Amino acid sequence: MSFANSWALWGCLAALLPILIHLFDRRRARPLPFAAITFVLQSQRRTASRLRLKRILLYTLRTLVFLCVPLALARPSCTPESAAAAQTRGPAATAIVLDTSLSMRTRADGTPIFEAAIEEARRALADLRPEEPATLVTCGGQEALPGPPDFDRAGMRTRLDGLEEAGYLHADLNRCLDAAARALEESPLPGRRLVVISDFAAHGLRLEAPPPVVSDGEGGHIQPEVVLRPVGSDPAPGNAAVTRVQVAPATQAGPGTFELTATVRNASPEALSDTELSLQIDGHVVAKAFLDVPAGGTVNKALVHRFEQTGVVSGALALSADALPEDDAHPFVLRVPEPVRVLVINGAPAAQRFADELFFLEPALTTQGGPVRATFRDSFAGLSEQLGEVDVVVLANVAAPDAGTVETLRTFVEGGGGLWITMGDQVDPEAYNAAFGSLLPRNLRDVRTAAERGDQDAEARAGRLTQLDREHPLLRPFVGRAAEGLETARFYRYMLFEGGVEGSRVLAAFQDGAPALVVGRRGEGRVALYASTVDRDWADLALSTAFLPLVQRLSAYLGGDLDTREAPSVQVGERLTLAVPEGQRVGTVEGPMADVPVRATEEARVEVGPLTVPGLYGVKDGDGQALPALSFSAFLGSEESDLRRVPLEDLQRWFGEEKVTTSGLDTPAREVPVWTWLLVIAALALFGEGLLLRR
Amino acid sequence: MALLDAQTLARLAGVRLRARAVMEGVLSGQHKSPHQGQSVEFAEHKEYAPGDELRHMDWKAYGKFDRYYVKRFEHETNLRAALVVDASASMDYRSGALSKLEVASTLAGALAYLLVRQQDAVGVTLLADGGAREIPARASAGHLNVVLDALEQVKPGGTADLLVAADRVAESLRGRALVCVFSDLFDTREGALERILSLRHRRNDVAVFQIVDPTELDFPFDDPTRFLSMEDTRFIEANPRELRESYLESFHAFLESTRRSCAEAGADYERVRTDEPLDQVLLRFLARRQRRRG
Repeated sequence: MSFANSWALWGCLAALLPILIHLFDRRRARPLPFAAITFVLQSQRRTASRLRLKRILLYTLRTLVFLCVPLALARPSCTPESAAAAQTRGPAATAIVLDTSLSMRTRADGTPIFEAAIEEARRALADLRPEEPATLVTCGGQEALPGPPDFDRAGMRTRLDGLEEAGYLHADLNRCLDAAARALEESPLPGRRLVVISDFAAHGLRLEAPPPVVSDGEGGHIQPEVVLRPVGSDPAPGNAAVTRVQVAPATQAGPGTFELTATVRNASPEALSDTELSLQIDGHVVAKAFLDVPAGGTVNKALVHRFEQTGVVSGALALSADALPEDDAHPFVLRVPEPVRVLVINGAPAAQRFADELFFLEPALTTQGGPVRATFRDSFAGLSEQLGEVDVVVLANVAAPDAGTVETLRTFVEGGGGLWITMGDQVDPEAYNAAFGSLLPRNLRDVRTAAERGDQDAEARAGRLTQLDREHPLLRPFVGRAAEGLETARFYRYMLFEGGVEGSRVLAAFQDGAPALVVGRRGEGRVALYASTVDRDWADLALSTAFLPLVQRLSAYLGGDLDTREAPSVQVGERLTLAVPEGQRVGTVEGPMADVPVRATEEARVEVGPLTVPGLYGVKDGDGQALPALSFSAFLGSEESDLRRVPLEDLQRWFGEEKVTTSGLDTPAREVPVWTWLLVIAALALFGEGLLLRR
Repeated sequence: MALLDAQTLARLAGVRLRARAVMEGVLSGQHKSPHQGQSVEFAEHKEYAPGDELRHMDWKAYGKFDRYYVKRFEHETNLRAALVVDASASMDYRSGALSKLEVASTLAGALAYLLVRQQDAVGVTLLADGGAREIPARASAGHLNVVLDALEQVKPGGTADLLVAADRVAESLRGRALVCVFSDLFDTREGALERILSLRHRRNDVAVFQIVDPTELDFPFDDPTRFLSMEDTRFIEANPRELRESYLESFHAFLESTRRSCAEAGADYERVRTDEPLDQVLLRFLARRQRRRG
């Protein structure tokens, strides 16, 4: 017999109440002179024996009530014969293996099943006989090796009290069981017992591996006695999770616009329909979508959102909460860039507006809401402009600059700037090759005239773009009808480039194979060569619908805006290496719940972690100033999202059926609770007392 | 004063006032009764016999029946009444305004008023402390004061010996008499009541007024109680709720047995609750006697 709430046994003292009340009543009997006492005495004589019996019965019933209720509150349970027989095998060193993995956060009736697991662990501890040493093995993915079994019950209870909630990591139950078995080897007792408290989710157990065994010290192995204490409902509830989030700029939809794609996995045996997916920024829902996910399937869902403010933005893509709400939200951090600052230098200005080199380019770069903030200068002013406040320089049909200007441009590009050179009658190939040298991704060779505008067959002979590199982020949107503008543009004249230079990439070419658009990296920056003009002198691309998005995306690409803007993200349980910008120093990293250890690894790099909690992490320097550019997020692994359980029968077969007993909340208990019977007895006693009082 | 409830009577100090109030209530009630024409003074008709007074000849009856009848009156019967009042300690019990003894004294006093008013002789026997105090029967108005004073001054105590009382009354009565016993009849000795009722065999009228308290009838006690005897040292601690059923059974059997004994002996029996209007008790008693005569 064991008691879950032994403190309630003090209530058994209430069983003395009927006797005490009886004695008290006797003491305070009111004296009353009564004339007809003869009849009272007669009645007393006549009913004495019956009354005595009734009184004894009443006291017995009342004592039963006052005894049974506190006993029931103490929640006693008794061990049936089979379990008792197991106990009579002799004392056994016991390892209590407590699953603290993420799936133990699953809710049952609104309460994490981990709370039930803690209760089971306390019960398992209480069930131990005094001569049985024990050790507690928590299994949450990052535990140290357990110590040998001892008799420090108080220490184990303190450890259990400190386990307020399960972790966020994936746990390998096989490894934990092996560790527990090894810990049992330290005990001199011949009996060994493993008490396993878990949801027995299939992701944590590999039944193809051998079951845990304990070395007998003589080269052999013995199988320990195993007590399974499953928690949570069986079958397990369905669960869906956001397993991945991808963030990509969507400048075609406007500046500061991003496409956030969530990968949603449905681990339920039933399909999900109209499940809500929301985009949350700084705790507010800014966009929603609804998706259907087949049973056991995975779908991607993209949400496009335009961020009004630039800078570091944190948020999450979240499903409506289910049995395991922790994996329903996937955090992310991204950086919304400032508009690209473009300096356009006009090499062929004209008094007549339509004859100006920038007649088409200027409006294309100054459209309201575009990702570009452009300023326009002539050659004289533009080439002497300070480039500190500029991201991209466009040389539009500009004659080859002097060496000093070119050097300034080279420094600008290698420092991360963008340079876009367009052709025209002001561009002399030889002078350009001489002036720019290696800054150009390809050397210029000569101007080719495919057709003269006005010729009868000019339309047919004009060059066309036939080879587009749609793998490149610049041209990725130009598919289908969006590509028609590029493919139908006619090029009457264009610059031929020299052969390939390492690091250059042809993004578009004419039907004769001559490159139309070439890009190359120089240092931290980029250089683009466009083989024709941006006005109608050599081509009519400026008239096509593709011209505006092309020049805007080209500017954004050269300014670095088409690069992935998602901040580093790391799976919970792992470490993250942060690149620290020059001149900055990482002091602390604040996680969702506590600061995270930081360790400098090499120059300008620090290692953060291990990260144990999902969410957003902020970085501060040594003075406590926030470094938002270094913010990052940690997300949960997807293994624990599948809550399906290993059938208990399979577990029993795996451990060895003769070695396994099962207890817990959802299976026949090893200990039979008797408090319900006590309550029934109390109710019957109350009923009987009422009947006796009525008579 | 149509109804003289116990509360009202209790506010009147002394037996004298209470008895007078009850008597007046009785007279007022008789005035309203259907037996209005039958004066207490006129008792019966008797066929004329030589020696009867001619002034009492009923000429109207002669006109109707062609026979001679003379009227006879009560005072001519020379009725003697013996009022036996139990003043044992148990009669001191009260749960309301009046004790059983006060009720008995009041009833006896009121009856004495009525009897003396019609010139009958009234005597009183007071039973207390195992003995009896007698006041011989007389019909004078001054004797009424003696009777009322005796009733006023009687102190309850000891036991009442009905056997002795019966013997004393039997000795003191000469000729036909009315014997009224006011008692709770808790003298449980064998033959006590029978001895009283045996007076009936000597052509006496016997009336038994059994005085009971409402709590004796209902036994309305709940809390654990130590019941103490009022006449001796007996006591018992009991839970009244457990005994109530058995007590009521015994007590009502006792009352019924008393009533039956009286009926079998041809005696009048009145059960008097100490909380009921006493003029109604007497009216009921007188009405019953009227019916028996008629």
